[in-house]
Amino acid sequence: MDKSHLKNLQEPCRRRDLQVTQELTVMMFTWEFPPRIIGGISPHVYHLSRSLAKSGAKVYVVTCDFPGAPQHEVLDEVEVFRIDSYKNPAPNFATWVYLMNINMQKEAAALVKSLGENVDVFHSHDWLVANVGIGLKHVFRKPLLATIHSTEIGRRNGIHSDYERMIHETEAWLTYEAWKVICCSDYMVSHVRWAFGLPEDKLVMIPNGVNVQQDTKNKSTDLSQFRRKFALPEERIVLFVGRLVYEKGIHVFVNAAPKVLEKVNAKFVIVGNGYMKDPLSNLVKGMGLAHKFTFTGFVDDEILKNLQRCADVCVVPSLFEPFGIVALEAMAAKSAVVVSDTGGLSEIVEHDITGVKVYPDNPNSLAWGITKVLLDETYANQLRKNAHKKVQETYDWDKISQQTKTVYKEVLDEYSKSFWA
Amino acid sequence: MQVIIFSWEFPPRIVGELANYVKSLALQLVKNNVKTHVVTYHDYLTGPREEPEGIKTHRVTNPVRTHIGVLTWVLTLNQEVERTAANIYYNAKKQTGLIDAHDWHFIHAAVTLKKAFNLPFIYSVESLEEHRSHGANSPFNMAIKSIEWLGLYEAKKVIVKSKWMRDEVVRVYKVPTDKIKVIQPKSTAWIKAILKTYKSLAGGAISK
Repeated sequence: MDKSHLKNLQEPCRRRDLQVTQELTVMMFTWEFPPRIIGGISPHVYHLSRSLAKSGAKVYVVTCDFPGAPQHEVLDEVEVFRIDSYKNPAPNFATWVYLMNINMQKEAAALVKSLGENVDVFHSHDWLVANVGIGLKHVFRKPLLATIHSTEIGRRNGIHSDYERMIHETEAWLTYEAWKVICCSDYMVSHVRWAFGLPEDKLVMIPNGVNVQQDTKNKSTDLSQFRRKFALPEERIVLFVGRLVYEKGIHVFVNAAPKVLEKVNAKFVIVGNGYMKDPLSNLVKGMGLAHKFTFTGFVDDEILKNLQRCADVCVVPSLFEPFGIVALEAMAAKSAVVVSDTGGLSEIVEHDITGVKVYPDNPNSLAWGITKVLLDETYANQLRKNAHKKVQETYDWDKISQQTKTVYKEVLDEYSKSFWA
Repeated sequence: MQVIIFSWEFPPRIVGELANYVKSLALQLVKNNVKTHVVTYHDYLTGPREEPEGIKTHRVTNPVRTHIGVLTWVLTLNQEVERTAANIYYNAKKQTGLIDAHDWHFIHAAVTLKKAFNLPFIYSVESLEEHRSHGANSPFNMAIKSIEWLGLYEAKKVIVKSKWMRDEVVRVYKVPTDKIKVIQPKSTAWIKAILKTYKSLAGGAISK
């Protein structure tokens, strides 16, 4: 394997010695980091790491490789290392995860060694990088923190097989080994406590964030040309963004469409991929509504942002949602939102103030919410305004990274009194 | 002044020939004044233990209790092996000489510890997936082969028990012949040859 990226380490190492102000060094593990984007962890780690770096922390992100992305790069002061993830065919996804962890672990071990073990904390995001974090914690005797974005028992609505139980137990192991467990919503804190039986003082709630600044610039650009690619001028746009999987409630969204169309002429735009894509497009055809739906697949960031700006309403119909970042992104893009009243979404949206909450897994209720927003322009505008303000106040990445830093410091304070220190 | 041996079987847990071989190896090392730690698996006899013959055993169990096969079971067991070996290393004030890893199971732990501590390891080959799987090449077999390859690539030395196995390691994995040492367990010079190989890697860290 090409080790040239390790040579580059010498330079930042020396620079660090000179910067006495740098009070904290963090090494984060994540299986996805831009341009590798699979779900919400990638943007989360991207924003968190750069906000931490901006506030003076030294941040190393170790992640999986991606075609075209460099093995090592410095992005906004964050040092990103992309490791050779296991590329042979694996027996199944979970086995691939464990094999990838082994590769990540040996590369990260070499990296920590080359930094003179100058790392204060390890931080793993979800079970996908549990093993690398747990192993290196003991090898280098440094504290490990974990962010639990989602759980197997939540994703699958229960544990139904040995495969699922193995993942569930790996998650439990990570939370056991972590000094602190961070969750993105009060709902998730309570869910993780229940799922793994953790003591209350081990859990910390730090919300997820959105980058508001980035979302408000270019607001003046004319989007009518862009809009025409997705809908007729007379059609209102109802937008869904997310992985096309069961727990995202995309089938509820599709089943709500006929009821919305009875009252409003609209186009339903579905952004994202997943195993339900084919069954859903067949369902739509069967309903005779193929002309009212657009499946865009995965789109890049700019198209997504523009779609959120064009949309008359953004819908998050999830059945299980630990946090609900898409709702926040839509709110930051000044779109009205309709969400199911569940999980983290319940905490983000205040009904009738910053959005509309509907019953989960209920197409009638969802159709009612969508129709209400589409038919009452004054109401919709009020929601947009309030939502945008709320996002700026609460879900700002700089505030969130400060909260995260406080947790790191508390952990390091406790650690300094332990025999490992 | 010590050696850490990794083996997935060790008495009282006996799966195949490896358990008794590793036991006799550890006994001979102790007799030759090498501080010998054996890190191995047992479902419930866990923790550090001073055996009557002077071997120090550390049996670890898998924190993930449910598995879908031997591969995921082995992969998640490696972090416990790392944890235990790291404890031995720190307790010995980082004076561990080398790791001797038997077969593929705990190769990952050996590689991570090598990268982290600059601690050399020997890969002692008992058998290869090539022969165990009779030519099968499913993703499962490939994963085990990729682990064997990693071990052969990262190891400082490879010890095999016969010339036939040396030739197979060369044939299957294209390992340079001079990296492989043939040490036949039945021979009278066996433990001397083992000690000599250990010393060539760990230098003064191995006594005698």
